[in-house]
Amino acid sequence: MATNFTINPAVQAVIAELEIQRKKISSTKYRGWGAIIVGITIFLITASFGAMIIALLLGGASAIYGIVVLYKISDEESFYKSRFKNEVIGAALRTIDPSLTIEPHNGISEAEFRFSQLFTTEPDRYHTEDLISGKIDKTSFYFAEVHAEYKTETHGKNGKQTHWHDIIKGIVFTADFNKHFNGVTVVRPKDFGASLGAWFSKNVFSIGDKNVVELENEGFKKNFVTYSTDQIEARYILTPSMMEKINELNERSAYTVSLSFINANMYIAFPLDHNYFEAPIFKTLLEPNLLDKDMSVLSFMYDIVHELDLNTRIWTKQ
Amino acid sequence: MIIVAIIAILILIFGIGIYNSLISKKNQVANAFSAIDVMLKKRFDLIPNLVETVKQYMQYEGDTLTKITELRGKALGSNVSESDKLALDQQIGSAVKGLMVSVENYPDLKANTNFNNLQSTWTESEEQIAAARRNYNASVTTYNNAVMMFPGNMFAGMLGYQPMMVLETAAEERKNVSAKELFNS
Repeated sequence: MATNFTINPAVQAVIAELEIQRKKISSTKYRGWGAIIVGITIFLITASFGAMIIALLLGGASAIYGIVVLYKISDEESFYKSRFKNEVIGAALRTIDPSLTIEPHNGISEAEFRFSQLFTTEPDRYHTEDLISGKIDKTSFYFAEVHAEYKTETHGKNGKQTHWHDIIKGIVFTADFNKHFNGVTVVRPKDFGASLGAWFSKNVFSIGDKNVVELENEGFKKNFVTYSTDQIEARYILTPSMMEKINELNERSAYTVSLSFINANMYIAFPLDHNYFEAPIFKTLLEPNLLDKDMSVLSFMYDIVHELDLNTRIWTKQ
Repeated sequence: MIIVAIIAILILIFGIGIYNSLISKKNQVANAFSAIDVMLKKRFDLIPNLVETVKQYMQYEGDTLTKITELRGKALGSNVSESDKLALDQQIGSAVKGLMVSVENYPDLKANTNFNNLQSTWTESEEQIAAARRNYNASVTTYNNAVMMFPGNMFAGMLGYQPMMVLETAAEERKNVSAKELFNS
């Protein structure tokens, strides 16, 4: 989608103001980091001649100056980023649908993330931001960037080491589902463990996972394993056409998505490589293609409601 | 000696596992069928209310309404086999679908809240039955695979278990119900 919203004079004025601020932040950052690097270099060179005190004084002074400069600009930087999200991304959102809003400091809470049962691993570290919400006809939806991680610890020669691993880094989307249901149905990417569990469930019933739902759609089966507390309800939700639509959605995503249907809502997790909706610091805001990636992900999320037909309310849930 | 005993115990455990698995799969099929029955009952219970509501508005669809009521009566009769019940349900389904199409000619009925609620409940029951049928077919397929494949087939022979037939899925069940197609709205 083209970034037509920048034609809007109000947005243009904001971008022009932000560009001035951006230039100031980027030059200050160059200065700060430059002073730190110079400080370290002075320290190393002077120390190599044995003048340790002079090395500490000269190198230290330069590095401290750099740190102070960076520290002083940090507030302005977060104000700049926040303004970019509220006013530029906000304006971009309104061109897609006037009901769309962004709250940069909010997201999908950790409690909701756990409740969604999208992933089996519980997060040890959780970060969320950029909550975008809206309503299309009768369907309310919201999505946010989520980074959930778990940790592992190894004991080596250097003592205990902590390693962080991603559960998901991407966007979690949630919408009011158009049918009533009471149980929990989750659709997870098919990995080795899930395939093995499903095989046991099918072949040695008493050992395997009894909640696995055997669905008919081959493409769906190839990518996902479905679990549900209610076999019939899972099929009521995952009708043949819904499975096709999920397949299509999945094909357009870089990585296999995960879905869950719980408490009247549907959740979809999209793993992504890029951090979206961020204001550039070292790249100009006047670049015409600046928001192309952000806009394409926004349109993608917005279109889900139509693509999954969530506005078809011919069942008792209105 | 100990190794032989361990192998024997393992074989025994494996055998019990397969045996139990076969029985549980058969029970699952029975369970899945009774779930369809429950859904059908729920759907048939909607008919009197639907007919009553529609009757007040539709002057020219008397035959269809009588046919639907008769079919319901048959389906709820005491000596109806499960397969007949399913066949009757399909007939009721297509008769009601025809009725829904005629609603276009009765704007007052189309605007009636009670009728709209019934229409939604009907569509919902249709998809629930489709889901229950798909669940039944999945249970039958799992059961048939177990009965026909090694090593389950050895036990199946001893238990006298035979492969079962899956239910034919009506073309409408394969796709999602579309509001536009159904109500032409």
